[in-house]
Amino acid sequence: MAVDPQKELTKLHGALGVSQAVIKSTFFEWRQTALELLGPSSDTLDVVLKFWEVAGVDVAKNFFPMLNLRKGQEGLILDLARALAGTGIANGAVVRVEKGEGPLEALIRWERCPWPTFAKRYGASMKEDLLGCDKFLQTIVAEANAFLGTDLKIETQKAIPSGDGVCLRRLYK
Amino acid sequence: MIDKFIPGLKRLADAIHEQKAIAGCQLMHCGRVGGIETEYCQGPSPVPQRLRIFRPVEVMTKADIKQCIKEHVEATERLLKAGFDYVEISGIVGYLLSNFVSSYTNRRTDEYGGDIQGRMRFVVELVAEVKKLCGDVPVGIRLCADELLDDVGGNTPEESMITYEMAEEAGVDVMSVTAGWQESIYPVISRDIPMGSWLHLAERAKQHLKIPVSMAYRLFTPDLPNKAIGEGKLDIWEMCRPMIADPLMPKKVLEGTEDEIRPCVACNVCLARLFRDAPMTCYINPVCAHEWDPKYEIKPAEMEKNIIIVGAGPAGLECAWVAAERGHEVHIYDKREELGGTIIEASKAPYGDDELYGQISFSKAKAEKAGVEFHLGTEVTPELIEEEMPDTVVLATGPKYVKGTAPGFDRANVVPMLDVLNGKAEVGENVVVWGNLKPGIGVALLLAKQGKKVTVVGKERKLGKDINPSFKWRYVGYLKDNRVATYNDSEIEEITDDGITIRTYDGYRIPIKADTVVCTEREANPDLKDVVQENGIELFVIGDALVPRNLSSAVHDGYRIGIRV
Ligand SMILES: Cc1cc2nc3c(=O)[nH]c(=O)nc-3n(C[C@H](O)[C@H](O)[C@H](O)COP(=O)(O)O)c2cc1C
Ligand code: SF4
Repeated sequence: MAVDPQKELTKLHGALGVSQAVIKSTFFEWRQTALELLGPSSDTLDVVLKFWEVAGVDVAKNFFPMLNLRKGQEGLILDLARALAGTGIANGAVVRVEKGEGPLEALIRWERCPWPTFAKRYGASMKEDLLGCDKFLQTIVAEANAFLGTDLKIETQKAIPSGDGVCLRRLYK
Repeated sequence: MIDKFIPGLKRLADAIHEQKAIAGCQLMHCGRVGGIETEYCQGPSPVPQRLRIFRPVEVMTKADIKQCIKEHVEATERLLKAGFDYVEISGIVGYLLSNFVSSYTNRRTDEYGGDIQGRMRFVVELVAEVKKLCGDVPVGIRLCADELLDDVGGNTPEESMITYEMAEEAGVDVMSVTAGWQESIYPVISRDIPMGSWLHLAERAKQHLKIPVSMAYRLFTPDLPNKAIGEGKLDIWEMCRPMIADPLMPKKVLEGTEDEIRPCVACNVCLARLFRDAPMTCYINPVCAHEWDPKYEIKPAEMEKNIIIVGAGPAGLECAWVAAERGHEVHIYDKREELGGTIIEASKAPYGDDELYGQISFSKAKAEKAGVEFHLGTEVTPELIEEEMPDTVVLATGPKYVKGTAPGFDRANVVPMLDVLNGKAEVGENVVVWGNLKPGIGVALLLAKQGKKVTVVGKERKLGKDINPSFKWRYVGYLKDNRVATYNDSEIEEITDDGITIRTYDGYRIPIKADTVVCTEREANPDLKDVVQENGIELFVIGDALVPRNLSSAVHDGYRIGIRV
């Protein structure tokens, strides 16, 4: 029986959407579990930031085989920016990487991101959402620095959770 | 290492001396790659691990460094008490001393870090202390001539030569030249790296040193080091894996029986097992790690038998020479005119697989010496068995190559792997290889290197599950480099004029354009079993005829039955 590519792609696209949604739900379910077990004295932000730190350390390891100092600082910054963008894309965000003004900087632009929507659904604040994402990305950059002996930095210039319409982050030396 | 090990070490040194050889022992702190089942490992700086298997680094204090030097000295003392004649210090591939030497892993700001002089301080202090104790007993060191860590800011080759000069000045008597780290992204000692590729590093070392220079690293045949020594590029030939594959290698070289050396196929199974703390084995040497065990010895047969072996591939040949050495009358048959079975075709795959044929050359030499009778170009039929009525038949006929059952597998553009490898089949520009084990990967790479667009589709959940992890990363890389697409855990649902339809394990259907489908799937081969059993003849089935696996299983099966029959 001949394959109907449209039907197959529709099925795959649907499954991808579901699995992307499940990842986010799982995070918020884990967050709720941790907070219930830790009791009322626990600080939600501490718990969430710790999660994103652990996740950042683990995700950074996936990037180590492809970070290459031989490409020079400029190439390295672009590669790392693309890798950071990839973490958003895998979750269903629309993310673009552009060269920054100087040679040693890249801009990463989240034009759409599903995380704030999920945060609202599960009753988490926008501040928590933004700081969690920042922690995750900062941890990856810090791990890459520790691995390569570099001194790269990432800063958030605009954020969807702050009402800016996009998240704009600058990765630079 | 504590004193209670001295008697054991002495037994080891004595045994080496009994064979009129020099006994050397190595001192090694594994540093960064030392922690697998521990919470942490030790090192100069907390540089995250690239390989997930290793634990986070705990930074060594200056007191730790002093303690470590003291422990090396105490270990040296024990070696000398045990009677060793040579002490070697390990400073390579990611072990502790190399961690201090390398700019990748040493980010210290104290006197044990900084420039190459600072990073070498630990080594220099350690060498001086060990040498002081050793006196006339020579001390060697292994240091990287090229760390192959330029992607993560490791030492330059120029810095490496400075480390050589500093080690010499500190008192080492021999320099063992090495290349690469476990964390390097480049292959160093696997089969895809041609033998002798690293000799230029020994030559470079010679230009910087007065002490003798030794080297291993893919110097598998004596001609290579012999030539290099003759040309003044090397002083001492080291070898590791060649002597795992054949511990008698140096003796055979000295005796001029080089054709009887079982060649290492540089598959790195031994290393993969070491890294996982698994018991030692060798892919090609069935006796490895069983040398002590009488069950593995080749002993004269209690009753001499007339044996027919059907199939002169790796399993049949291995069984033949072992059985013949034991006194049996062995006849080996093959319908081909040539020895080697499917290794003839397998050795045509790229990235060093031609070296697989070395096992055939070895077992041929052994079989000829042991008096095996060859019957090439002779197909064994039930009539032949009934006519000869041997005491034993060993079926080493190789696997049956099978097509799938899906519609279209009977089309003319579906061809067997062997015909592709030996150039008999016509292959189009878009090719699907059916089977995601090593045979499929080999043929896929061969075709991709010819410029064809290749897709591998296989039932196995993971690609190349029959390749050990210390080599598989190479194949994954080569498939990527050659733009070979892979679909694992998938079936071919249909083959049509335009190509195939894949059905993934979870039901997705993907159309792939293909002019040719190459079948690499195999199954056990029951041919001739019935006639042997019906005639009451002792029967053994070995190698891929029993269960399709790989060269290793064929050789191990052959040996096991050879010593038993
Ligand atoms: C199973 C195995 C164990 C090894 N253990 C050590 C070791 O303890 N110390 C060391 O310096 N090198 C060790 N090596 C590396 C070898 O000494 C050698 O440098 C490397 O295998 C390359 O040489 P080859 O091509 O002759 O095998 C080991 C290699 C293998 C395969
Ligand atoms: S396991 Fe492989 S690499 Fe190691 S000695 Fe044996 S044949 Fe050589």
